[in-house]
Amino acid sequence: MDNEAILRKYKLRQKLINILPVAALAVLFTILVVTVQAKGYRLDMYLKIVFNEGVVLAVVATGAVFIYTLGSFDISLGASTLFSATMGVMTYNATGSLALMILVIFGAAVGCSLLSSVLASVFHIPVFVTTVAMMSVLSAIAAQIITTNGGAVGGISIPSALVKPLDNMGFKIAALAVFWLVCFFVFSFTKIGRRQKFLGGNPVCAQLTGIQVNKYAIIAFVMAGLGVGLGAFLTLVYTPSVTATTAGSIGMNIVVAIVFGGMPISGGPRSRIYAALVGGFSYILLNNILKLLIDSNIGYGVSQIVSAVFFLAVVYVTGLNYRSQMLPR
Amino acid sequence: MKASKKIIGTLAIPVITAAVLLILCAASGKSMIANRTGFNYFTLYAAIVMITTMALSINLNSGRFDFSLGAMAVLASVLSAKITYGLLSGGAGSAALMLCLNVVIGALLGLVSGGLYVTLRIPPIITSLGVTLIYEGVTFTITGGKYVMTEVRNASMTAFAGNWYWPALIILAVLAFIIYLFDHTRFGYDYKALQSGQKVAVNTGIREVPNALWCYVICGALMGVVGFLNVARSANINGGSLNFGSIGIMFTAFLPMFIGGYIGRFSNDKVGYLMAALCMSMLNSTFAAFSNEISASTQSIINAVLLVVFLIYLNNEGLLKKILSPRKA
Repeated sequence: MDNEAILRKYKLRQKLINILPVAALAVLFTILVVTVQAKGYRLDMYLKIVFNEGVVLAVVATGAVFIYTLGSFDISLGASTLFSATMGVMTYNATGSLALMILVIFGAAVGCSLLSSVLASVFHIPVFVTTVAMMSVLSAIAAQIITTNGGAVGGISIPSALVKPLDNMGFKIAALAVFWLVCFFVFSFTKIGRRQKFLGGNPVCAQLTGIQVNKYAIIAFVMAGLGVGLGAFLTLVYTPSVTATTAGSIGMNIVVAIVFGGMPISGGPRSRIYAALVGGFSYILLNNILKLLIDSNIGYGVSQIVSAVFFLAVVYVTGLNYRSQMLPR
Repeated sequence: MKASKKIIGTLAIPVITAAVLLILCAASGKSMIANRTGFNYFTLYAAIVMITTMALSINLNSGRFDFSLGAMAVLASVLSAKITYGLLSGGAGSAALMLCLNVVIGALLGLVSGGLYVTLRIPPIITSLGVTLIYEGVTFTITGGKYVMTEVRNASMTAFAGNWYWPALIILAVLAFIIYLFDHTRFGYDYKALQSGQKVAVNTGIREVPNALWCYVICGALMGVVGFLNVARSANINGGSLNFGSIGIMFTAFLPMFIGGYIGRFSNDKVGYLMAALCMSMLNSTFAAFSNEISASTQSIINAVLLVVFLIYLNNEGLLKKILSPRKA
């Protein structure tokens, strides 16, 4: 085979791999629709459930793409979402002001993210370990506040009438679309995104060209913080109460969502802003399909196994063109 | 380095920790270890922390992050508890049989995890996410999401947990085995070569795949021991962890891993892990003594703050020395 044919074959395979995550999303959506109708359940209700679960994950994960593009890793985003929502509820209960509540939610989320990035960049602590510590601190503080003010089971809450007008698909789609478009613009059409991809791909080379690592790391964490803030607010809109387990699994699901969406965990030039959106909804769709198909308590375990196997298979296929001789690290 | 400096360097942190905590306890009219039961738990916890730290560090020091350690420990314990109970019905020798089975099953689970990694050739952090979900799912399916109690509550297990010398023996055996394996065998030399220069090591003919597989097998076996010790400590196994609920086990090992690495500069990193585990166990015993005053949330915050403070010191040591050293005229 001549070089041109090999190149053509490579490009075709690359194209197929690139559309695989979107194709998987479409297939999963179709399977959900077929399964719900075959079981005779209400489709509109299931779509609402999937959307409400998916929108929070997609929003937080889209912000997190900026951190992952740098080749960094943040495990504290779930705890940060819980902490921000907790602070928001406490603020509303103390002041009765919705505007102040939203301000505090976003302030707390961006503040937590900034603290992580400052600790990592100013004190040279490995980012991952910083976020592990932040996760412990934020969950512990939130749990303490929730237990003291409302009890571990019931948690703390805001009046449901306050956020009821916002609990509709229109508002949530608009919130997701606006945030995603802002992220898409920053990531794809400004030097911030380009430089972050460069830093993630080859940090030494990027630094030698004069790119400031700390500056772009802080920007990445601020973007992630905005995603966490919006995610925390949307969580409160959907469920106006916060318990110690609220958003508990988001931290790890973000990683799964981003990888599911076809973005490499190592970041760099192959990072894609749409990965979080596609991957987040795919993962939620898959989980809901499995819950529908395996309908028992033990089924939760089986559905998690199937979901994990599917996840590994997707990652394996999307990474087919990037195999190296040595084992990846 | 002089022998006296090595001894002082190795013992300084544990001795200072002991002194500070003993003074704190004495000042409040409490004792860190009040009786023999307290000492039994002290030894047991030190064994858990030391072995978890070793298991975490084996792969982490080679750039392979493994989230599945906790899931491995839990699944190995569930399987061995079921088999042991099936064979001995909680009779004499149950603890010994369960420990042996835990090691074997843990090693097999490690082999599966490592096998997936070397076969799929996707980054270890992603493989470990999938493996964690699979192992949690299997555990949940076997236990029905319930606690395993009947199988692990027997006289044999109580006798094990009630004698400090069993965990002490395990500490010595594991320490001797790991030091021999990593510091005095060809496997250990290859491991260190691959750790410090993967490409060069592979080009010189070191076989990376078998080395990585053995690392996973050893980690699995170690986590099997941890699983058994956790069962002895709590007299039950939580079979209901899903969606990454098991990863908390490994977060306890971060602080001792960094402390151990620091102490290792003066002697051996494995001895460092033991010293760090003793420090963590002393801290844990002190928390137990102050359980009425210090809540679980506060304990998490203290641990996380200690981790951050220690890392700030560790990563800015040179700068701190420069600032604190007297300036020459």
